[in-house]
Amino acid sequence: MSFDTRVAEALADRNLKLAVERTAGTAEAKRTLAVDAFPDFDAARDRAAAIKDHVVANLGHYLERFEANATAAGAQVHWARTAQEACDIVVGLCKAAGAKSVARSKSMLGEEIGLPHALAEAGIGRIETDLAEHIIQLSGERPSHIIWPAMHKTREQVSALFKASHRVAHEEETIAAMAESARRHLREGMLAADVGISGANFLVADTGAVCTVTNEGNAELSLVPPRMHIVTAGIEKIVPSTDHAVHLLRLLSRSATGAPLSQYTTFYTGPKRAGDRDGPEEMHIVLVDNGRTAMREDGLAEMLRCIRCGACMNHCVVFRQIGGHAYGGTYPGPMGAVLTPAFDGLKQSRDLPNACTLNGKCQEVCPVRIPLPTLLRGWREKSWREGLEPASLRSGLGTWAWFARRPRLYRAATAAALRAMRLMGRSGWLSRLPLADGWTRYRDMPRPTEESFMAQYKKGRRS
Amino acid sequence: MTARADILARLTGTSTQAAIEAEAAALLRAPERPPVDPALLEETFLARLTLPSVAATVDRIATMADLPAAITRYCADHGLPATLCLPPDPRLTACDWSGFAIHDTAAPDEALALAIARVGVAETGSLVFETGPAAPMLPNFLALHHIVLVPRLVAYLEDATLPGDYPRAHYWVTGVSGTTDIEGTYVRGAHGPRFLHVIRLGD
Repeated sequence: MSFDTRVAEALADRNLKLAVERTAGTAEAKRTLAVDAFPDFDAARDRAAAIKDHVVANLGHYLERFEANATAAGAQVHWARTAQEACDIVVGLCKAAGAKSVARSKSMLGEEIGLPHALAEAGIGRIETDLAEHIIQLSGERPSHIIWPAMHKTREQVSALFKASHRVAHEEETIAAMAESARRHLREGMLAADVGISGANFLVADTGAVCTVTNEGNAELSLVPPRMHIVTAGIEKIVPSTDHAVHLLRLLSRSATGAPLSQYTTFYTGPKRAGDRDGPEEMHIVLVDNGRTAMREDGLAEMLRCIRCGACMNHCVVFRQIGGHAYGGTYPGPMGAVLTPAFDGLKQSRDLPNACTLNGKCQEVCPVRIPLPTLLRGWREKSWREGLEPASLRSGLGTWAWFARRPRLYRAATAAALRAMRLMGRSGWLSRLPLADGWTRYRDMPRPTEESFMAQYKKGRRS
Repeated sequence: MTARADILARLTGTSTQAAIEAEAAALLRAPERPPVDPALLEETFLARLTLPSVAATVDRIATMADLPAAITRYCADHGLPATLCLPPDPRLTACDWSGFAIHDTAAPDEALALAIARVGVAETGSLVFETGPAAPMLPNFLALHHIVLVPRLVAYLEDATLPGDYPRAHYWVTGVSGTTDIEGTYVRGAHGPRFLHVIRLGD
């Protein structure tokens, strides 16, 4: 399905607009309050960007350091160049452990490498323990947001899904009763799982710890009872020390949900120790490249600053209209429009960097100051250079450039076009316009003024 | 070439270890953070506990000997039986728990678990824990009511991090388990505790 078709479907979905607006709108308002209550927020963002740049510049050093410290704490560290290698390692570990079921704590990297699919192929049962991931596992969908993966679902849809699959489902049609139903259902699964799988919000180089952040506490309940904990993490998740993580955590939760800190922040360092009363017997950490070293080499190093807070999409006028699924990749919104061409190839995803107004709002709210509009423009330029833009656009732009380089002719052509448009739009609006049916299919164009801006300006009419 | 060698070969840097360490240390100098007045640690901590996402109730005891009575009060207020999951921490087991049914392994539907936080953090209202033979982790996530004794406060999260080696798990609890995954509506008690009760020790 093409991007255009997905967007048309999303725009025609009334529920979607409402659902996206409810969650993203609330997140936007809460973030604003949180930022206002943090006087040095802007300076804190500069420091956060500097911390991430420092890590990305010295990534090899920090990865080796992390590996040494995690190994010393008893964890086993694995390396994967590609999504396939990462999935093979995880599936291999699950099989070696004789795992029948795994409990997974939400991880966007897991989605990125296609881990749910790989586990299913291997015949390993999987329960998603984040409430939203549980909802979309039941509906057979992919996440539509990196913080609220089920933001596109209404409460009525969630209720129907739970009633069809929970052994003892809710009776009352309230959101609290639905959450309670999921709590009962998922707790059984988490306590019975053989393996717990998580991502990492941070990998702490100087302790070898893996940090997860949740509001539900599902990470801890998924990772402590099973006998094996497997972490899949992007190599850019490294921080030098716990205190560097603290600085980024302050920005992460405020940017994502507006809270000073998420409810549960846990640093896991190796497996169960002598005398410990709970915890896994084995801990495995899979460090995943999957295109990240290439991004670092190809002018996308700034994108490796991303801490996956979702603020860019919550504040994006395009995302707010079309929701997450229309983007077609693992990551939606502005950060997704930068990442998807890197992961899936520009040829398949050149529409994403184009579906942007360049209003700059994403960069304005980004806690690590990623210049998202600049990176999106970079993809547009690359797409042009590589001849990926459609022939009609190339010839149209060529024609325009030919006129634009001949000002006298350009002004005459503009004046003629204005006259024609005024004739066509006698009612005050143009309902059809040659070469612009993409615009007029959904809206009318206002009738233009008699003369172009340049012509009026020359005459001295400046008001 | 192994995946490890392949990845690291593309990430070679020119900086020396000393230069990297100096730069990393410089990045931590005078961090921006919401200011906490050191003279008002207690007040700030208590105010954070009332944030909607934290929503903890608070009690205060002068000495450890007063702890069982505080738990009895909490149980009475919430209509709970005097049944308690108590970790094998000598500071807790030394208290007089007569009248309570005590166990040290949390049931899947555990009603009430008690734990001691190492410190409380005024900046965020966080409670800081480490795992160990006397400090299991699961009860603090399985119980519906989580009661936490807080003997000491610090100002900032950085004051709560550990120097040197880490235990298996070091974790910060900042409120009750919550979710906004259905239509952005906040629900308490998503997977873990629905109620958090903080008991401050000391005058």
